[in-house]
Formats: sequence, C-alpha cells, structure tokens
Amino acid sequence: MIAFGPDWADPVVRYVIETGLKNTLKLSAIALVGSSVIGITLGTLLTVRFLPTRALIRIYIEIWRGLPILVTIFIVYFALPTVSPRLRFDAITAGAIALILWGSAQVAETTRGAVQSIPREQHEAASALGFGWIGRHAFVIMPQALRRLLPPLVGLLVNIIQNTTIVQVIGAPEILETAERQVERLTFEGQEHAIEIYGAIMVVFFVISFPLTRLAAYLERRLA
Amino acid sequence: MSTLLLASGFLDDVWSFVQDNADELAAGLRRTLQVSLIAILGASIVGITLGAARAYRLPVISQVAAVYVEVIRNTPILVQIFMLFFALPQIGIRLDAFTVAWLAVTIWGGAFNTENFRAGFEAVPERYREAGAALGFTRLSTFVNITLPIGGRIALPSSINTYISIVKNTSLMYVIAYPEITTVIFQIQALTLQTAEAFTVLALTYLIIVWSMSALIRLLEAHLALPEARA
Repeated sequence: MIAFGPDWADPVVRYVIETGLKNTLKLSAIALVGSSVIGITLGTLLTVRFLPTRALIRIYIEIWRGLPILVTIFIVYFALPTVSPRLRFDAITAGAIALILWGSAQVAETTRGAVQSIPREQHEAASALGFGWIGRHAFVIMPQALRRLLPPLVGLLVNIIQNTTIVQVIGAPEILETAERQVERLTFEGQEHAIEIYGAIMVVFFVISFPLTRLAAYLERRLA
Repeated sequence: MSTLLLASGFLDDVWSFVQDNADELAAGLRRTLQVSLIAILGASIVGITLGAARAYRLPVISQVAAVYVEVIRNTPILVQIFMLFFALPQIGIRLDAFTVAWLAVTIWGGAFNTENFRAGFEAVPERYREAGAALGFTRLSTFVNITLPIGGRIALPSSINTYISIVKNTSLMYVIAYPEITTVIFQIQALTLQTAEAFTVLALTYLIIVWSMSALIRLLEAHLALPEARA
C-alpha cells in the first residue's frame, strides 16, 4: 500500500486500514443513521402531550444518556444473551446497538428542543392547509427543525466516530483493536512500536474529526 | 402475575449479589469516586488556568492551550489511555494503573473545561472589567474578583456536564485493569456467572451518580443564576 517507511510498517498499515478503518467507518455510519432515525422519531413524539409515551421516552433518554457507553456495550453483549439466546449478537452488531441506544438518546433530546423552537403558527398554518399530524411534522415542522439539528448532528458524528473505539473492549476489529493486535504481534516478534502505531491512530482520528468539529462550529454560527 | 414473580425474584437476586460482594463493590465504588474527584479537581484547575489564558489571549500559552484542546477533543479518550498506559513504557515512562486512571480523565476533562471556562470568561460583559479598572484593580485582581466569580458561574452548567462525562469515562479504566467499579463488577460476574445481576448493579451505580449530578446542575442553575439573567 505504501512504498516508503520502515519494513514493519507495511503490513500494519494494510491491516489497520483495510480491516480496522473499514469497520470503524461502517460502525460509525450505521450508528449515525440508526441514532438519527430513532432519535428524531422519539424526540418528535416527546413533544406530543400524552403522558405515558412521554414518560417512557424520558426514561429511555435518561438511561442511555446516563450510562457510560462501555457499560451499555457490556449489557448488550454479555447480559442480553442470558435473557434470551435470540439476543446473542456478534461484537460489531452489539457495538452498533449500544452506540445507537446512546446516540438516539442524544438526538431525541436535541430534536425535542428543535421541534419546540418552531413557532406555533407553523403548526396552525399547516393544519389550516389540511395537513394531519404526520404530514404536518414530516413536511412542515421537520424540514425547519432539521436546520437547527444539523450542527448538533455533525457534533454527534464526531462523538460517534470516537466512541466506536470503545467496542474494542469486546474485541470488535475496529481501528483500535486492529492496531492493538499489530502492536502485540510486533512485541511478540521482539519489536516495540506502540508509540508509532497508537500515535498514527490518533492522527487518523484527528484528521477525520477536526474538519468535522470545524464544520459543526461553522454551521452553528451560520444558522444562529 | 408470573412476570411479577419473576421480576421480584430477580430483584432478590440483585440484592443478594450486592450483599455477597459488598466489600469488593464498596472498594470499587470508592476507587471510582476517588479517581473522579481527583480528575474533577484537576480538570477545574487546568480549565480555569488555560481558559483564562485563552480568553485573555496570553501569547504562547494561549496557542499551546488551543493545540492541547483540539488534540484531546478530536481523538478518542480510549486511544489516549492506550497511549499513556501501553505506549509510553516504550520510551521508559512507566505509569501505574492508578496514575493513568486519574491522569487520563484529568487531561481529557481539562481540555473540555478549558473551552467551558473560556466561553464563560468571554461572556462576562466588558463593562464589568472596565468598572474593575476604574476602581483601581490590577488586571489580576480584576480577574480574581470579577471575571472568575461571574464567568465561573456562567461556565458552571457546562463544566458540570464535563464532570459527569469524567465520572462516566472512569469506566474505561477497565482496559488497564484498574479496579474501579466497572472492572470489579466485570471480574465478579466472570467468576460467579451472575451476568444479569452484575450489570444491573453496575448500571444502577452509574445512573445514581449521573442523575444526582444532573439534579445538582438544575439546583445550582436556579441558585447561582446571575441577577441580570434572572430578569
């Protein structure tokens, strides 16, 4: 893949990029889409004045936002299979589920604020035009709320990408896990390259995250 | 009815799990709180110092602080922990698990707190500082007597959010086998196979801590709100 650099680096770079980075990006994409879809739905439902659903969604948000993601990963990966064998997932799926539980709770809370920030007249005008609840929210309220949601969603993407590394603890071959395997292989062969490898991983994350955090800040300024 | 019986049976199991392992659980919880408290204190000192340097644009320190903040915020904390614990020994720096535990969350929380306090200090109206100058205060005493108490109050909600994240992030010390509550409970369930009971206790532990801290934010927000903001 690269023709320069020391001999030991070549297979490391190949494995970490082809397996690790690929899984990290896949996991991030699934978690982003899942968190957005579930979070926006729950957040919109949270604005409906019906107590039982509001209470249930509130509890969902407070639990998954309150737990460390590592604990949520343990619950999904180790505790769920003891409840029912059908709830046994491989490491990447379990990681994706845990990230979606956490991410959707974040999105739901932001969505509630964004939907409630749309003036009541918009609801009334849409109703006057004959839109039902779903049509009103899908075609009138949500497009306007999405403008306000965009900066926090970009911020969430940065957090999701960084938090995918926590799936390493259950051995999912994302970028940090693949890097650790390579560090251990090299150590076993009598070579120590932990600083170079973990340093390179930090650079990879920085190169991905930094433009995104700048973008989130820019969007926030522009939409303010 | 049978679900109810099942649920109450499970609660009994959870309770006996706590009783059977009370000593280890207490020790783990103590370490979680200890590491969190050190990091909260450390992150406050780092955040106030560097946040002031950023807000006042102190040459060199301000730029170094900006790089520190961006590097920490744009890289995963787990990789930072790996760097401190697994990579530094390569150049002869060997830190024990306890040191890495509090140091990693302090470095991480300090970066986020620098931004919290910078924003807080910058939100203090210019006329307050001018009033300080008019009263003959030096720049330092203007900061200590005016900008810090007012800006600190503005930064309080966001900094407590950072402290909540610090507590949650101490769970990551599982990867370096530091025996805080997550590591302790994981090891007990690996031995006893009481998986559901163990992770229920673990989840409840964090939720109680995190929910208490969130309640504290709301309480402090009402209590410490600036007179002007209240109007």
